[in-house]
Amino acid sequence: MKRIIHIRVNEQEYELAVEPNLTLADLLRDELGLTGTKKGCEMGDCGSCTVILDGRNVNSCLILAIQANGSSVQTIEGLETEAGLHPLQQAFVEKGAIQCGFCSSGMILSGKTLLDSNPNPGEQEIREAISGNLCRCTGYQKIVEAVADAGSDYQKGQGGE
Amino acid sequence: MLLPKFEYDEPRSIEEACETLRTFGETVKPLAGGTDLMVNMKKGVVRPSRVLSLKKLKTCNRIEKLDATIRIGACTLVAELIQNQVIADTLPALQAGAKALGSPLIRNLATIGGNICSARPAADLPPALLVYGARVVLHSQQGPRTVLLKDFFKGPGQTVLRGDELLTAIELDRPPANSGAGYLNLGIRKVQDIDIINGAAYLALNPRDGTIEKVRVALGAVAPTPIRASLAEQALQGQKPSQDLFVQAGQAAQQDCTPITDFRGGAAYRKAMTSVLVRRVLETALKQIEK
Ligand SMILES: Cc1cc2nc3c(=O)[nH]c(=O)nc-3n(C[C@H](O)[C@H](O)[C@H](O)COP(=O)(O)OP(=O)(O)OC[C@H]3O[C@@H](n4cnc5c(N)ncnc54)[C@H](O)[C@@H]3O)c2cc1C
Ligand code: FES
Ligand code: FES
Repeated sequence: MKRIIHIRVNEQEYELAVEPNLTLADLLRDELGLTGTKKGCEMGDCGSCTVILDGRNVNSCLILAIQANGSSVQTIEGLETEAGLHPLQQAFVEKGAIQCGFCSSGMILSGKTLLDSNPNPGEQEIREAISGNLCRCTGYQKIVEAVADAGSDYQKGQGGE
Repeated sequence: MLLPKFEYDEPRSIEEACETLRTFGETVKPLAGGTDLMVNMKKGVVRPSRVLSLKKLKTCNRIEKLDATIRIGACTLVAELIQNQVIADTLPALQAGAKALGSPLIRNLATIGGNICSARPAADLPPALLVYGARVVLHSQQGPRTVLLKDFFKGPGQTVLRGDELLTAIELDRPPANSGAGYLNLGIRKVQDIDIINGAAYLALNPRDGTIEKVRVALGAVAPTPIRASLAEQALQGQKPSQDLFVQAGQAAQQDCTPITDFRGGAAYRKAMTSVLVRRVLETALKQIEK
């Protein structure tokens, strides 16, 4: 039986009727058209379905949409503002940290969760933070560099304004 | 991948949750972080007709420091076990177990209760909990009962938890000043890996002569359940800690385990590595006392 949930996605409120067996990943992709959230393994292994749920990065393929009732979700689509790409997105583009792009939204959101609490992480901390996100193309090095670069931008942004 | 259909409940109290368990029996499954249950439901291994979300049980996600004990709510996130200061200060081996579990993404969903109830032989939290002498609080409509964690596991995926019961909390005595503990795991990769073996040790020294007054050693992935290594413990009890003693205890621990051969490692390899792991984790525990 369908149930009504209230969910905030990228700062927008939604009231939706969902079946209990609908995952958050499927809600975002199929009901809201936010296909930036990818589905790779659907078993919690690859991280391509990463979203930020109430401040924590999580695998949206392992969460029921109905469990996210009352929660706030951020997806890759929520990062860009009128001012342009988010510093992490910009750094990924500039560093060449995106090849096929399938892992990128998850990588960027895991990177963002790290930088939000620690804008100046060391290489090991970055590698640890993205360790649930698999990339089959880049060999990770450029992704790690992009997150580090974006971290310095975060700091500049905070200090400069 | 579609999940089969099921009904969904989100009780607001332990009493309400126990009532649902009582009413629907084996057809209902508690859902904590879902990192085990959702995967099993997608694979079709588990097919509950009703899912009982524990998300709204506010009393179950607290870590409380009481006079003599620490009480960890069953729904406490593994990520929280790493961040929490009480755990970092008093139960470092549990914190080490939490750090070894999955990836940051998984740790933001997975709960301590789910890790215990899934009863995987290689799970990362039970060894540390066993060496701290943890007790689990099981709740049914009749009220709570407390069981020693070492008596909780029955086999892979099997526990003494009845269908009408919920695990609500884990209780541990606060370790005394002259004690230390550690946790180590051996896997193929650094993260998101099922361990080949893992283990924990707890040592409390007699303040007068420095001999081992209390010792617990626990191992995972070497038997159908996480186990206490009683022969290793016997070798250590009452002795003065030394490199040689830890080597002997490591050898004794080989007789405590009955590992299987699977694609992660052979039984003989697991036994050999048990000696190394026990020696090293005893060193970690001792270092912790000296800190
Ligand atoms: C990619 C990936 C990597 C992983 N890596 C590791 C790892 O490195 N180490 C490790 O130990 N595990 C690992 N796991 C397994 C799993 O994440 C952990 O065991 C986790 O702690 C399970 O907790 P949960 O809250 O998600 O449990 P759930 O999936 O919600 O529940 C697990 C089982 O316990 C029952 N249950 C849960 N809570 C209660 C309760 N309070 N009372 C009664 N029954 C309850 C459920 O009904 C279900 O049968 C991994 C899983 C994935 C998907
Ligand atoms: S699709 Fe969710 S972790 Fe792979
Ligand atoms: S860029 Fe292709 S998977 Fe990472």
